[in-house]
Amino acid sequence: MQLTYLIRRLAFLVFVVWSAITLLFFLPRLSPINPVRERFAELQRSTGWAPRDLERLVKVYEVKFGLNKPLHEQYLEYMGSLLRGDLGYSIMRYPRTVGDLIAQALPWTIGLLTVTTLLTFAIGTGIGALAAWPRSPQWVKGMVTPLVVLAAIPPYLLGLLLIYFVAFRAKLLPMGGAYTLGRFAEPELSMPFLLDVARHAILPALSLILSTVGFWALGMRGMGVTVQGEDYVTFAEHKGLDLSRIFYAYYVRNAILPQVTALALAFGSIVSSGILVEYLYGFPGLGSLLNAAILANDFFVIYGIGLITILAVAVSMMVVDLLYPLLDPRIRYTRA
Amino acid sequence: MELALDPHAPVTQPSQLTLVLRYLRRNPSLVVGVLLLLFLVGFGAIGSLLIDTSTRAYPLAAPPVQPPSAQYPLGTDRDGRDLLAVMVRGVLLTGAVGLMAGTVGIVVGTVVGFLAGYFGGWVDAVIRWLTEVLMTIPPLVLQVIVASTIVDKNKVTIFTMAGVASVLAWMGTARMVRAQVLSLRERAFVSMARLSGMGDLEIIFRELMPNMLPYLAASFVGAVMGAIGASFGLEALGLGPVREPTIGMTIRWAVYHSAIFNQWWWWVLWPVLALILIFASLALINRGLDELANPRVRRTE
Amino acid sequence: MKKEWGGLVFEPAPLTDLDKRGVEAVKPRFTRRQLLRASALASLGALAAACGGGASPEQSAQPEPAPTEALEPIPGVPSERPRAPINLKEVPRNRTLIVNYGGAGGQFTNQGITNPWAIGFNHQEGNALLWEPLFYYSVFANREIPWLAESGEYNEDYTELTIKMRQGAEWSDGVPVTSADVKYTLDTLIENDALSYHAQVAEAVKEVQAPDERTVIIKFNKPSPRFKFEILSLKFDTGIPILPKHVMEQMYDVVAVPGDDDMVHSGMFNTVQTPQQKVFDLREDWWGFKTGFQKKPDVERVLVIPISDMTTAAQRVVNNEVDATIDMRPSLIRSVVEQNPKIITHTGRQEPLGYVDWWPNSLWVNTQLPPYNNPDLRWAISLAIDRDTIDRFAFNGVKLTTIFPYPEYETLKPYLDRVRARGEALGVGRFSLEESAVRMQRAGFTKDAEGFWVKDGQRVNATIHGFEVIHADIAPILVEMLRRGGFEASVNFGTDAFQRMVDGQPGLYLYGHGGSLIDPYATLELYHSRSSQPTQAGIGGSNRFSRYNNPEFDRLVDEMSVIPPGDARLFALFEKAMDIYWGEMIDVPLIQWLHRIPYNTTYWTNWPTQENPYLNGAFWHYTFPLLVLNLRAAA
Repeated sequence: MQLTYLIRRLAFLVFVVWSAITLLFFLPRLSPINPVRERFAELQRSTGWAPRDLERLVKVYEVKFGLNKPLHEQYLEYMGSLLRGDLGYSIMRYPRTVGDLIAQALPWTIGLLTVTTLLTFAIGTGIGALAAWPRSPQWVKGMVTPLVVLAAIPPYLLGLLLIYFVAFRAKLLPMGGAYTLGRFAEPELSMPFLLDVARHAILPALSLILSTVGFWALGMRGMGVTVQGEDYVTFAEHKGLDLSRIFYAYYVRNAILPQVTALALAFGSIVSSGILVEYLYGFPGLGSLLNAAILANDFFVIYGIGLITILAVAVSMMVVDLLYPLLDPRIRYTRA
Repeated sequence: MELALDPHAPVTQPSQLTLVLRYLRRNPSLVVGVLLLLFLVGFGAIGSLLIDTSTRAYPLAAPPVQPPSAQYPLGTDRDGRDLLAVMVRGVLLTGAVGLMAGTVGIVVGTVVGFLAGYFGGWVDAVIRWLTEVLMTIPPLVLQVIVASTIVDKNKVTIFTMAGVASVLAWMGTARMVRAQVLSLRERAFVSMARLSGMGDLEIIFRELMPNMLPYLAASFVGAVMGAIGASFGLEALGLGPVREPTIGMTIRWAVYHSAIFNQWWWWVLWPVLALILIFASLALINRGLDELANPRVRRTE
Repeated sequence: MKKEWGGLVFEPAPLTDLDKRGVEAVKPRFTRRQLLRASALASLGALAAACGGGASPEQSAQPEPAPTEALEPIPGVPSERPRAPINLKEVPRNRTLIVNYGGAGGQFTNQGITNPWAIGFNHQEGNALLWEPLFYYSVFANREIPWLAESGEYNEDYTELTIKMRQGAEWSDGVPVTSADVKYTLDTLIENDALSYHAQVAEAVKEVQAPDERTVIIKFNKPSPRFKFEILSLKFDTGIPILPKHVMEQMYDVVAVPGDDDMVHSGMFNTVQTPQQKVFDLREDWWGFKTGFQKKPDVERVLVIPISDMTTAAQRVVNNEVDATIDMRPSLIRSVVEQNPKIITHTGRQEPLGYVDWWPNSLWVNTQLPPYNNPDLRWAISLAIDRDTIDRFAFNGVKLTTIFPYPEYETLKPYLDRVRARGEALGVGRFSLEESAVRMQRAGFTKDAEGFWVKDGQRVNATIHGFEVIHADIAPILVEMLRRGGFEASVNFGTDAFQRMVDGQPGLYLYGHGGSLIDPYATLELYHSRSSQPTQAGIGGSNRFSRYNNPEFDRLVDEMSVIPPGDARLFALFEKAMDIYWGEMIDVPLIQWLHRIPYNTTYWTNWPTQENPYLNGAFWHYTFPLLVLNLRAAA
């Protein structure tokens, strides 16, 4: 029974991933922006100069990138190359390959965003749970509102304020970048480098945490409130169980379900959620790479990074589905 | 006191109003939240009557970069907008965008989530497939494509922006509602209802919905806030109504002209304050709604 | 015959990869190891993301996971060349020039593209330090600076150019730079239509000869008095560097090789590049030092770091973290100067805090598309713009509005002064809503209930397409002015703005010229009818948005093209051309473009300024090496 479910769920995963890759293939093609011309446009905007026969040049590169072929042919070719593990070239940064760009950016995003997502989840869920817990002191119950209000400030502005006061005025932390300039030729695995990176990651992490922790708290409190009324919690209370036991085993465990879903999704979407902060702090991750690619409609880079998010989100959702019955005994696998 | 002393006096039921007032006294979050919201709406409405926002909230209406003064109580920005007029109009516009996109998101999300969770089978399968596919694609890609292809560049309004912002607002809700429904429908009271011959719709509305309300309320607040955030994102990309003095655009201009670094504090303070008030009122209302929807949690102190 | 290049393996393309046109289809050539590395990383990321594996920034900061090291080379595929870990030598801060410029979204995405013929190449982010031309040209000093060449002489009728190469110049691998390299560079530009200078060189050059190691003779198809300046000289963002024949010849496709950090070059720096920084270290063995051509500069290292947010860039300059950065918005430069007494600009610490760039902006329209095809309407738009108010609001009261599509440079001044009075007499630059209304009525427009001009039930679409980073100063103000004049204006700062200009869609395009520097020809050439393809052809992509078509104007431009700069005959032709430009209001000239670059004198002095204008101060221009040679370490 469970095995069939697992197989069906895996088949669904494959189907979702294929559908998403297909949709993502066609989406940027709807845009009026031609990435080849956009490369020369970028050149022209930054230099004021452009090739005299731009349109001919655009055609030459369209042929080079195979963009002159019918769309369905391009699609088949792209799927073929994906199966071979070939993500193609960046059009804007030709001849850099998409695989190369991603390989350099991915570790940064994973590092920064996994840590902050976990922290945010833990802090937010904890505060939310306590805020909904009837026995909490009043000030704890009131904590969610200020956190939500903090989330009201657009992350970009919050980041600018942090940079201005903490880094620029107080000079406590670096204003941006991932490691000290000119000190390291390239990332390396050494203690001084790691400490340096950690120091540079504090402000970006803080920006991310402050701007999202309120939502976690809000969600958890909403669920916690629902669970409180449930008979099993009341029953447990009357049975005189240890309070902390009630809190964790009966109350948090039952209320946390949607939070876990959200956590899985948050992990899946770390690329998207890092965009602004990575950009603002000059943190060389996937988010800012994706941002630049979308603005220029750089097909293959969008596809490449999109592939990562598609896999990450789809797998997270599957993991959630598989974990659900373990977390919530009321659900059985048969409900697929 | 008197009532209790006289056993023959007719039992006067307290009026509806009294009941409501009594309840509200026990629920200060709701009161403060609603009052804040009323204040914001009032600020926008009365302000619109007193100030000609159709000119004063736009460039060249005042000298550039004036700190607050008697003539310009909130100061002016670099393009010569009167920030008082900007805030009056901005609060209304931003509120409208949030409400529109948030409502669309929550309604569509709830309906879809309920359909999937309650009926299961192929309905669920199709809906799940659709939401999962859309959720896996980076939201920015969808938004930028929608905004740059479907929307007519010369006619970007707050309505089209709300539309774009709501494109993605429903999926999270749908998925979570579905999960909740899946959990709820296995419970005893639903089985009981089904045994007692209730129809699907009746079960959904009479048994499931009430249980979902606090969660939906929280989601709604989240959706409105999310929609406002999404509209900021679009505005930051130049895909919003660039000429309109929404709060997002105001902050955008302030950032563009380095208002923090230039210490033009008033240009940053007012829009941030407005946002804080909007979000605070929503959060407080949300908290108040929890108590309203779940009487057993009413504060016991 | 397999060649390795900076870690990527390149082999001559198999014939099957060539399509009928002889253009090679692009196929990434991964080494298997790279492929595995990328996919291992990708799956690792997905896995970590999915499981919430607690990779801390410390762990994940490792760019190349260890497991790939264990992979065995695949037989038949040469393995990646082992790359020794790079150790940067210690260079003190006062010998390091740090500039904040470029990047995309806060990181470099073109790191390691050092081959100038790759379309992803960008000379602006330090790569100008790697490559050298035959000549530099300092427009501000109005001086040609022979570099790899010693001299270049035209024959009498400008149909032949003879270049003498400098003795002792050599590539970074020790091979001498000779006339063969110049011939190779030009020949390839003529033959390879994937290169951006292909059209210009192929059109002008008939033949390149290299009779001996130090002599190049270029024969032209027609008199080409501007070829040496426009193509062979590096100045601002234009011109071509010379590339090493012996290296380029071994590439299977000269545009498909990134070059990487170790590409053989002739410039005085070596480079190490990552997404977060581009490091350029002075080469002790540069030919210019060995031959005594140049003295060693104080600058031993140049660090280029990407810009994310302009305010942050400003804060970095103020805190002495960087020595110079991108040109700033007028609102920003003033407080930068105020917050650090060590910061100067081209005009010292006085307004306008910058110098005029070669990019004066106009409101362009597609002159073939109704209703913009009517000169009366274009004039009406110009008359509805209050240029004094723009100066007051957007530019701190500095007069930057202009009636010219030319930068007011010393080199161009004689020409501009000659026609200035004519322009003013015509009413260019005047603000008058009455006159604007007269023009609109003459064009058959009436005002509707809301006060907008209509004709045949259609309002004038006056959406201004522009770029937020650079145009948000004036676009919102312009919109209000145009609306007051009865034009339904709004702003499009979307990512599609440029594409709409190129496609010639309805609306106004806020954009610069990037034409003339030392004589008026280049700007006028932008309005030549060879760029006036039908609406959809998208030919407007090279500043030629106007699609202007006027045989009389063409004749003037053609005539000017064969007359050398400085020749007295140009004046009369220029007058006639400007009469047409203004009379027809081909585009609506608006503002001079100012480069407001902050120079921090804490570590570096002798920046180019008004008093000492040896260069324009844009370090992102091709002339960056000249700036580096001139900077002095602060005492």
